[in-house]
Amino acid sequence: MAGSRFLVLGAGGLGCPALLGLLAGGARRIGVVDCDVVDATNLHRQVLYDLGDVGAPKVEAATRRLRERSPGLEIEPIPLRLDERTLSSLLAAQSADTVVLECSDQPDLKFLVHDLCGEHHLPLVVGGVQRWGGQAMAVRHGAGACFRCVFEGAPPAELAPSCAAVGVLGAAAGALGFLMAHLAVALDAGDDVAGTLIALDLRELRPQQIRPGRRAGCPGCDPHAPRPAQGPLGPACSTSAAAACSR
Amino acid sequence: MPNVRIPTPLRKYTQGREEVTVAGDTVGVVLDGLEQSYPGIKERICDEAGKVRRFVNVFVGEDDIRFLDNLATAVKASDEISIVPAIAGG
Repeated sequence: MAGSRFLVLGAGGLGCPALLGLLAGGARRIGVVDCDVVDATNLHRQVLYDLGDVGAPKVEAATRRLRERSPGLEIEPIPLRLDERTLSSLLAAQSADTVVLECSDQPDLKFLVHDLCGEHHLPLVVGGVQRWGGQAMAVRHGAGACFRCVFEGAPPAELAPSCAAVGVLGAAAGALGFLMAHLAVALDAGDDVAGTLIALDLRELRPQQIRPGRRAGCPGCDPHAPRPAQGPLGPACSTSAAAACSR
Repeated sequence: MPNVRIPTPLRKYTQGREEVTVAGDTVGVVLDGLEQSYPGIKERICDEAGKVRRFVNVFVGEDDIRFLDNLATAVKASDEISIVPAIAGG
């Protein structure tokens, strides 16, 4: 565990609690990727930041806060706009002991991260949150079901409203983010969590655990299936943050 | 009657209800009944051809209906049907 690396993609509503959860779980090597800046309207769920951070690149603010909590932490801020090329390069550069946490707010990006992690043999946790709840799934390609075994593709934009449009409860993002961290640490420890999807809704407080079977011909994990088609990625960060995305 | 767990994004169709009971002996019949009681909800679950959408999954208990008989999967009165869509936010 002490030597393992965790790569958190997205330092927003899920990424902030996931980072804190990783730290609490004993992680000592973390990379955090985001190309956006801290926005005052998101502070209720992006719990690493405060008003003094507004306008600062999230990766810089997150790195500062985590180092304050754990001075010995080896953390790498990565201000990167993610697309298929940059993401593939980033994942190719990761050590084999890296666990990826997909914490972005883009449906197509979640699937792209999932698929490229399969190509680069990296285990990952995919999460999503909206309104009062969400889901998290631990994936180790080839061991249990993958995300595409459960969901064959991303929802179209008109059926996947953003958190800004429909809202998200801060506590829901917190619960799901910490759950993602727990699943990532468990994956790293070799616990039997791969292929497990957990859905949680804070209004009913009844977590639902599903362990689906692998889907024959799944393009996400069947090596003989054709590579899945990727949808277009939406804007990855605000225009004002574009300058921060220097790589 | 089978119990249907409604995911958060679809509760606007069920007046916020997390669970509803709908008569039916197959998943497809239950979804038709769901649409009768809560108009508009089925098109969020199934596409124009009547198939379950790619980003939605339906489980009877813990069993994925794609590994059973899809919408023709038989259900009993004591079964719980879960509609699980991919959640995009982060």
